[in-house]
Amino acid sequence: MDDTLTRRAQRTLAYGFLFFILIAMATPFVWMLSNTIKEQSEIFQMPPTLIPEEPHLRNYVSLFVDFDFARHFLNSAFIAVVHTVSHLFLASLAGFAFAKYTFPLKNFLFLVLLGSMMVPLYTIFIPLFVLVIRLGLVNSYAGVIIPGVAGAFGIFFMKQSMEAVPGELLDSARIDGASEFRIYWQIALPLVRPALAVLAVLAFMGSWNDFVWPLVVLRSRELQTLPVVMAGMVNLYRMEYGVVMAASLLSTMPILLLFLALQKQFLAGLTVGAVKS
Amino acid sequence: MGLTGREEQIRAAPATPLQTAQSFLTNTVDSSIMKPADEKGLRAWWSRSERKVVPYVFISPFYILFIVFSVGPLIYALYLSLHRWPGSGPMRHVGLGNYTYLAGDPVFLKSLWNTVYYAIGAFLFILPLALVLALLINSTLIRIKSLFRIGYFLPILTSTVAATIMFLLIFNNQFGLINQGLALLGIPALKWLDEELVKISVLAVATWRYTGINVLYFLTGLQSIPPELYEAAQVDGAGAWAQFRYITIPQLRPIALFVGVVTMIGSFQLFAEPLLLANGGPNDASLTIANYLYRMGFTNAKLGYGSAIGWVLALIIFGLSFIQLYLFGAFRKED
Repeated sequence: MDDTLTRRAQRTLAYGFLFFILIAMATPFVWMLSNTIKEQSEIFQMPPTLIPEEPHLRNYVSLFVDFDFARHFLNSAFIAVVHTVSHLFLASLAGFAFAKYTFPLKNFLFLVLLGSMMVPLYTIFIPLFVLVIRLGLVNSYAGVIIPGVAGAFGIFFMKQSMEAVPGELLDSARIDGASEFRIYWQIALPLVRPALAVLAVLAFMGSWNDFVWPLVVLRSRELQTLPVVMAGMVNLYRMEYGVVMAASLLSTMPILLLFLALQKQFLAGLTVGAVKS
Repeated sequence: MGLTGREEQIRAAPATPLQTAQSFLTNTVDSSIMKPADEKGLRAWWSRSERKVVPYVFISPFYILFIVFSVGPLIYALYLSLHRWPGSGPMRHVGLGNYTYLAGDPVFLKSLWNTVYYAIGAFLFILPLALVLALLINSTLIRIKSLFRIGYFLPILTSTVAATIMFLLIFNNQFGLINQGLALLGIPALKWLDEELVKISVLAVATWRYTGINVLYFLTGLQSIPPELYEAAQVDGAGAWAQFRYITIPQLRPIALFVGVVTMIGSFQLFAEPLLLANGGPNDASLTIANYLYRMGFTNAKLGYGSAIGWVLALIIFGLSFIQLYLFGAFRKED
């Protein structure tokens, strides 16, 4: 009797705390959403209004008309798609090699791969920029995409799932005379489709949200990606808050939709690195 | 191997990808042409050594890109850090001059302190909060687990830019949401983006964005603890606290190490939040090492000095990673 009572109290407390944090985390989203359809004066108004008195879409219109939002959205999308496709190809190919072949120096090379994740971005930031200028890649999509296209995490991730591909299947294909690349492409790759989906979402998200590297590489405005342009809209003294909030919201939508569509595989995939290390 | 092996495969797993593979196999069997055994030259060499060469070909893109875009720049950064160079024209060799100047540069020391402050804040605030949330979600008290798991995770989907922009309207010194809330309670507005409080505000943005992913990591760790351990402890009469102290905490060790290293590396590379929330200010109060490196290397075109900052940052990160691994006994041999 007494036991169930304390248990009920504990449960109420636990739920109370979890919901309190959940509401605290949802508040910035809700407040942003509400402010995208407000007049600037109402954003500053006391007391704050959750549902605007005169909701309107002028901030969104201004975003497309004054800030050429569609162009920057497409820049981001193009870079993210090319990055994702090339990353998936290179990572699965190398992951396949590490999982399904034995070759001299394999363990050493894999150790180098893991070690490469330790190199801090900012340490190589300045020389990398100099290099990209020398290669003539500055102010181009290629300059944004190429340096980070063969990330070690993706290879590590794909190796994990390639290991589950049955070796007998590959051997029988070899007996039938298939080339090694064909074995990778037509047998191994279709079998790891779920892992590819997870890595695709991760790669797309990383590229879509990337800020500091595109910030230095993309000099001319018409090439710039959403985070770079949005950061440029932030001006601590004079700023159209409603427009900036609308940009922030719209830029988050693709990732949010992608995540909600694939959340199960996505959450399982994210923790792979943590479990294995 | 031959046919029997393949038949077993087909029977064992009738999933779609396997069917694809299977139909491919049948096709190649039907269409394969037997090559004469005495074929010579390049082709013969290739059919002999394809399996030895191919793995290197498959992994080579990574190593080529890694050498060109990471190892090369890493070495070049070291070289640059020994020079004074505005990005064009001749370089001037200054030995360790950049490093000795760095040691006495008040702005760098301030950015170092700020960065350490953020890292300590992450360890004292984000990680304990994430652990408590994970323990609660994992406990038998809570039934609707996925609502919280997913709800807490959503913030990290936003870019750091979008996230920080959201918080501009929350921490604004005059009309931010927090101050509006305080005003409703009759409490005078606090200046969240002024020198005294700006680091707290940056930490709040980081807490909002990074708590959820750490909840997930801890949950993974908690769920990988074998339930038999708890059952055995209960049989031995161990209470809830004893179970937590002697089973949960030791079993969480590997995941805690991972989370600790990732959090430390992330904290030391904090960039967008202080930049967009307060432009590193006011009076450099929120400036991080990465912000200062960017300011020196790109805004002020001091590429040598910026590279020296980068190498100091790398040494700090390597050193702290090593200490963490050492403290958690990652180098000890399992007996």
